[in-house]
Amino acid sequence: MRWSAVVPMFVAVVGLARAAQAQQLLMPMDDQQASHLKAYGITFGALTDGIRSEWLLNYRGGSFLVPDLPSLRRSAALAGVTFEVVDGARVAQIRKEIADGNMDAVPLEKAPRIAVYTPPDAPPWDDAVTLALAYAGIPYEKIWDDDVLNTDLSKYDWIHLHHEDFTGQQNKLFLGFRDAPWFIQSRDRDLATARRHGLADIPALKKAVADRLRAFVDRGGFLFAMCGATETLELAMGAKLVDIAGPFSDGTPMDPDADAKMDWSRTFAVQGAHLEFAAGVNAMSDIDGHQVNVPSRRQPLGTFTLFGFSAKFDPVATMLVQDHRTVIGDYYGVTTSFVRKVLKPGVTVLAHEEGAPWVKYIHGSYGQGSWTYLGGHDPEDPQHNIGAPPTDLALHPNSPGYRLILNNVLFPAAKKKPLKT
Amino acid sequence: MTARLRARIAASLFMLALILIAPAARSLRAQESPATGAIVARALDAESAGRNREAIGSWRAAIAAGAVVPGVLGLERVFSVLAQEESLLVALDTLVPQHPREWQIRSVQLRVLTTIGLDGRAARAFTEWRDLAPTEVAPYREYARVLLFNNRAAAADTVLRQASEALGSTRALVLEIAQMRAGLGLWGAAAEAWRDVMLEEPYYESATVWSLTPAPAESRDAVRNVLGARGVPLGATQALALLEVAWNSPRNGWTALGALAPSDTVVAIWRLFADEVERVRAWSTARDALAAIHASRPDAGVALRGAQAALAAADPVTALALARSAAPMLDEARRNADALPIELDALARLGRAAEAEALLVRSAPALGADGVRSHARTIAWAWIRAGDIPRARRALADAPLSAEDAVAGWLALFDGDLVTARSALRNTEVPGQDAVNALALLNRTRLQRSETIGAAFLALARGDSAQASRRFEAAASELPDAASLLLTLAARIETARRNEDRSATLWRRVAAEHAQSGEAPEAHLELARASRRGGDLKGAREHLETLILDYPGSALVPQARRELDALRMGAV
Repeated sequence: MRWSAVVPMFVAVVGLARAAQAQQLLMPMDDQQASHLKAYGITFGALTDGIRSEWLLNYRGGSFLVPDLPSLRRSAALAGVTFEVVDGARVAQIRKEIADGNMDAVPLEKAPRIAVYTPPDAPPWDDAVTLALAYAGIPYEKIWDDDVLNTDLSKYDWIHLHHEDFTGQQNKLFLGFRDAPWFIQSRDRDLATARRHGLADIPALKKAVADRLRAFVDRGGFLFAMCGATETLELAMGAKLVDIAGPFSDGTPMDPDADAKMDWSRTFAVQGAHLEFAAGVNAMSDIDGHQVNVPSRRQPLGTFTLFGFSAKFDPVATMLVQDHRTVIGDYYGVTTSFVRKVLKPGVTVLAHEEGAPWVKYIHGSYGQGSWTYLGGHDPEDPQHNIGAPPTDLALHPNSPGYRLILNNVLFPAAKKKPLKT
Repeated sequence: MTARLRARIAASLFMLALILIAPAARSLRAQESPATGAIVARALDAESAGRNREAIGSWRAAIAAGAVVPGVLGLERVFSVLAQEESLLVALDTLVPQHPREWQIRSVQLRVLTTIGLDGRAARAFTEWRDLAPTEVAPYREYARVLLFNNRAAAADTVLRQASEALGSTRALVLEIAQMRAGLGLWGAAAEAWRDVMLEEPYYESATVWSLTPAPAESRDAVRNVLGARGVPLGATQALALLEVAWNSPRNGWTALGALAPSDTVVAIWRLFADEVERVRAWSTARDALAAIHASRPDAGVALRGAQAALAAADPVTALALARSAAPMLDEARRNADALPIELDALARLGRAAEAEALLVRSAPALGADGVRSHARTIAWAWIRAGDIPRARRALADAPLSAEDAVAGWLALFDGDLVTARSALRNTEVPGQDAVNALALLNRTRLQRSETIGAAFLALARGDSAQASRRFEAAASELPDAASLLLTLAARIETARRNEDRSATLWRRVAAEHAQSGEAPEAHLELARASRRGGDLKGAREHLETLILDYPGSALVPQARRELDALRMGAV
């Protein structure tokens, strides 16, 4: 064979090999995606297997770029996740597009270790986050009071809280469910845990747990809370030295000066809120704008709008609002929203309801860590009631509300970049 | 404002006019001269003929002549059609101070201001009216209605709360409260309000249904809890039953209604419900409702409707019972015309061919030769069901079928004549599963004769599923072009018989020997289910993954993903 024939062949083979090497899978997250929620699971799975990925913020709804590997193709096909095979030239074109617009490519390096604070016997559908994690195939550990108080939480990157009541008043469900077996069982279980730790009652136990969670964030952890956990965690942290629990939970009345004695310097998001002193009113404070469990104060559901952020200058906030919809139907929870006037000045509002005095989705830093609060219980069950059937996420594979939850799961995987703002 | 919205407003105004025109006309008669009446009549004529400009002039003349309320309402309608509602404001600015307590003029003012988007002025007009008549309910009611009509349920809520504080009770506003709560999506609370409305006004069940039908699936239990509670007014139960029909769960509706003691009123409600479930073709529910009506108020017509519904619900036993109970209440002519065909059809479906034939023989003198022949096909079908083909043929001796008749198709199929069967079975009126299977098979093979196939379908018709399965499997080697389908038919039968070993063997043959066939995905799905039932979760997962990855275009892929998720999440 003549050299003149071999050289072009060699060049072609090398070129093909390079192209093949550069070939990647793009999981678009706009309306072309058949299963948005499972796309997070595929990306998370890649990270777990040590495969570096990229999150293309604001590019086609916040797409994911992963290497073109047979294992990933297989996982995506099994999960019904739409992907496009993009060669090196196309990737370069995408990167240019990203460089020219309000977009950014964030490397995802390592799967975060996830813990969910939930009672040991709670089924996955009790909590939108565990539901989303289970559906997307993202592994997590369950932790409860003993784990929080006894173990080193720094082994987790991300802790989630849902509708647990950190004021120790069990969401004031005493009013309607005092004779329900499940209520009695959970009260007895929490009381036994308190005694085991030398604490007098459930409010004292939950305050101690809240304090440990505060320390977890202070030392660099990520905390994501939804529903009633947001409001009650704030109250429990601020009430370190004051009794804010009703007599039905600890046998003593609330401190009549509790409002004035709250130490808001210890909280993440809220200051100057007013506690609800009436035992018969199923609300903890005036932090929640919707007050779903107080018929005379209940506000109707509207829609909330996600804010847009500068992807290059504010990547964290941008990651948290990646979605293929910017306006999303609201949904109730024990705490549905956060009244704007009680938020601390440094809090970043990620989503709000146009013209309403409340916001839906907030984020901020505390110490070396950060926290995110999302109001409401279940994005696909707006009127959620106790005992309602679980949400079947297979019927909502493109849920924009659940995407917000999964944004929070993935964002600790992002390679740390110094914030420019 | 869109044309659609404008049309909606005009239609609503027309409805309002119907409600208001009677008292208005009465007041007109009381205080106005015949000349004024003539002006109003002229205005109505012009309006109904679409001569809007002329109508405006006439309605203005009517107002000048003293017919103020009809005149203002007439102008509102005409200006709404012309999309010139603001033109009425000048007249209202004069008329409202002259008639400050006239609620109909005040209502028009609120509607017009809200329609053209002057919400602030509307709110001020309401406040002025409310302050003028602080103990009257009309200002609150009218303003709340206007707001609800404009989809401003939250604002209506505020007005109704003010009414509650000012009047001490919202009893007179319970209708508006119900609409408001529905508008806010507070479905349980809306149901409570509608229930309260019907305590006073039982005929509001249609409005209740209209208002609560949009309740999303997750909120319907709240409505059910309210309207289905003990001691609610009858209208509430009726509304719940009709809501269940609208929510595609008519069986629940009958569960609510069927529990009522059958008074005349209740039976009348049952009749309305039966009409409704027949309309939506909920046949088993219709059967039960009609049977209950017939049981409490015996009526041959109702019994026969119930029997027809039972046949449509594939319940020949009840159909037979109802038809037989109707028969003694009918004269001979109607019995033969209406009850006999149902009875014969039911017997045929039950395979009680001898009984059907005997019944026809008994009825023969009254039916005449032509009448008997008209039922020959049903008798033949009864014998087919009974698996007696020679007698089926004998039944047709005096009434030969066309070669294209479905019964002729079945007879041909049982004989192994696939050509005739292929052509005639296409004419099956409502193909059951057997007919679908037969047609699918006949379309897959070019073979002209097969006794094995005929024997397999005959065994199926006789209800001998074990024999049918064996014969379908045997035919697979005879018809290689349809082998995968024949094995699938055999496997389906064995799956239905819960014969796990044999069904798994057959499904494995489909998956392995006919991997490129359309039946292979079904085989993998069934093998996955069999593995799961046997505790082999790994095997189940492998079959589901094969289905998804190797047959991505199969309609079974979404189901396979669901079952794979269920396996992973430990839900099975």
